Amino acid sequence: MRALITGAGGFLGTHTVRRVLARTPEELRLLCRSRPVPLEELRARYPQTSIRTEKGNLLSSTDMERALDSVDTVFHLAAELKGAPAEMFLNTVVGSKRLLEACSHVRRIVLVSSFGVYGTAHLRRGAMVDELTPLDKQPERRDAYSFVKLHQELLFREYQQKLGYELIVLRPGVIYGPGNASLSTRIGVNFPGFFLHVGGSNLMPLTYVENCAEAIAVAGSQFAVDTVNVVDDDLITCREYLGRYKRTVGGYRSVPFPYSAAIGLSGAVEWYNRKSRGQLPAILTPYKAAVLWKGNRFRNDRLKSIGWKQLIPTCAALGKTFDWIARDKRTTVDD
Amino acid sequence: MAKSPLAVAILGCGRIADAHAELIRGLESSRLVAVCDLEPLMAKQLAVRFGVPNFYSDFSELLRIEKPDVIHITTPPDSHLALSLQAIAAGCHLFVEKPVALDYEQIRTIVGAAAQNGRKLTVGYINQFDPAAVEMRHLIADGAIGRPIHLESFYGYNLAGPFGTAIIREPDHWVRRLPGQLMQNVIDHLVNKVAEFIPDDEPLIEAFGYWNSEARLHDDLRAMIIGKEVSAYATFSSRIRPDAQMLRVYGTKNSLTVDYTARTVVLNSHPTFPSVLGRLVPPFSQAWRQFRSGTRNVRRFARSEFHYFQGMRTLLSSFYDSILLDKEPPLPYPELLRTAKIMDRIFGQVIGKQA
Repeated sequence: MRALITGAGGFLGTHTVRRVLARTPEELRLLCRSRPVPLEELRARYPQTSIRTEKGNLLSSTDMERALDSVDTVFHLAAELKGAPAEMFLNTVVGSKRLLEACSHVRRIVLVSSFGVYGTAHLRRGAMVDELTPLDKQPERRDAYSFVKLHQELLFREYQQKLGYELIVLRPGVIYGPGNASLSTRIGVNFPGFFLHVGGSNLMPLTYVENCAEAIAVAGSQFAVDTVNVVDDDLITCREYLGRYKRTVGGYRSVPFPYSAAIGLSGAVEWYNRKSRGQLPAILTPYKAAVLWKGNRFRNDRLKSIGWKQLIPTCAALGKTFDWIARDKRTTVDD
Repeated sequence: MAKSPLAVAILGCGRIADAHAELIRGLESSRLVAVCDLEPLMAKQLAVRFGVPNFYSDFSELLRIEKPDVIHITTPPDSHLALSLQAIAAGCHLFVEKPVALDYEQIRTIVGAAAQNGRKLTVGYINQFDPAAVEMRHLIADGAIGRPIHLESFYGYNLAGPFGTAIIREPDHWVRRLPGQLMQNVIDHLVNKVAEFIPDDEPLIEAFGYWNSEARLHDDLRAMIIGKEVSAYATFSSRIRPDAQMLRVYGTKNSLTVDYTARTVVLNSHPTFPSVLGRLVPPFSQAWRQFRSGTRNVRRFARSEFHYFQGMRTLLSSFYDSILLDKEPPLPYPELLRTAKIMDRIFGQVIGKQA
């Protein structure tokens, strides 16, 4: 396999590089926009593979042609996670288009998408979310990231018809691990001085970063299915996650807020946004609240069917993550 | 004459187009009929997110099919001249994002074409229509500071923000290709406040830029602009924190300070109390003026007249009114041209000198 990993310098990318290298591809190229990936340790540890970095911008056709030259497999992880919606779209979807335009010779693509593409707002409370759950028909009502990821998926399917490559789309849930200190909005909303905890007893679709990276690496040689959700075993509730976070990291005040109240509050926010013609942004709407906090169940049968095994148990993964956040917080305070 | 609501189209579907779409939708005098971008995916995403009925990747096709009354040009500035002339030739009124074009000559050509064809033109100088700026003009017109004789204009910029980061990260970012580079994309907001008060066609200008070797561009500017009657110091800085936007106008009677971030206007007057009381009372009278400025903002908020882009909202509304009622556009053309000329002369003194 002569593979390219996009977003190789990112939170998920750095772990994916190691999991792919563990399968000894002939050649591995790491596409990074700004931060180059240090190669010495990787080359020493995986001497059978020719490894090199490609500094490039997804929006540059020239960069894409150079990076994809003689590559047969692409692991596409790169995406803009925050910023203005138009820029997220440009850097993720239009960037993907430039990549695909240079993919005429590529045989296999693993696309890392998101759980955010599912239309969960209309599901009943506690409904199972799996690969058969319909996609969100109005992702623009949700959040920019979901909107962008859904359009990215559609683009990869469209180009698959034109170019004929094998495609597997992975949809990870909430990816956590050392290096990511943020609390998922599925648990609640951060306000200055306190955290509004809405998630309560909802299950979190968690996947530890190394486990998710393993799923991506496994998917590189398994194209029997076209879509796979990525969540770990032994999922815990938002309340358990937050409780453990507070015990390990400390210094965090949270206020429980029931789902029905969240729907009421978000209805008021949406009403005021309309009445004032956008004076305050509609950061919360009943649609967004339903997506985030109504509560669903999740399964990973299909992920296991392609040969994935959880590398790090959830309990240990949570411990590693919260210990890192606690250390990081102390370091920041000391600085 | 055009009828309300005006049919408006946006050309260029990047970051700033979101603000235009949001505001056009929110005004009763306009309806957003189409958007256009060379990249069809970008046009589609804006149309989907804002419920715009049509999107195009060919500007000529948009003009032919939609026949809009007004075009908002939000593309990178090196394309503004050609697109503006095309839109004017098709009979459209124009809202052009700043910087209007690459230099004074190009801007003069656009202004001339608009005037010659009886089309209205305005530019995204939104700070000029901020509630605080409008209040400042009322105070000056009422004689609160006497005759303005000197200004200090300050514009702070956060180069670590998303747009600044993109400029630093990308060596071929379009901002780097502008004759005035980063400064050209930003200092309209610094210079237009000065150009409003200095009517001279050729004021004396001394400018100095600080070179950022890591970012490989000038990220700080000091300029002195001296007219026959009024003078100004203009400071653009990516280094000073907070990255505020201020204007201080010194008059023959009093002075006033406009804070564009806090949206306050405070009159700085001569102490009215004698002796030591003249030192004791002013902080309280200043605090009282700040308080009153704050309460005015609360009242504006209650009336839904305190949007984040309130200046642009006011500018758009005035611009559309000028089209519908055939009035003068909100930004006088001579002021646009003076701003362009001052900017050209500043770049001429700064760009190429890596001090």
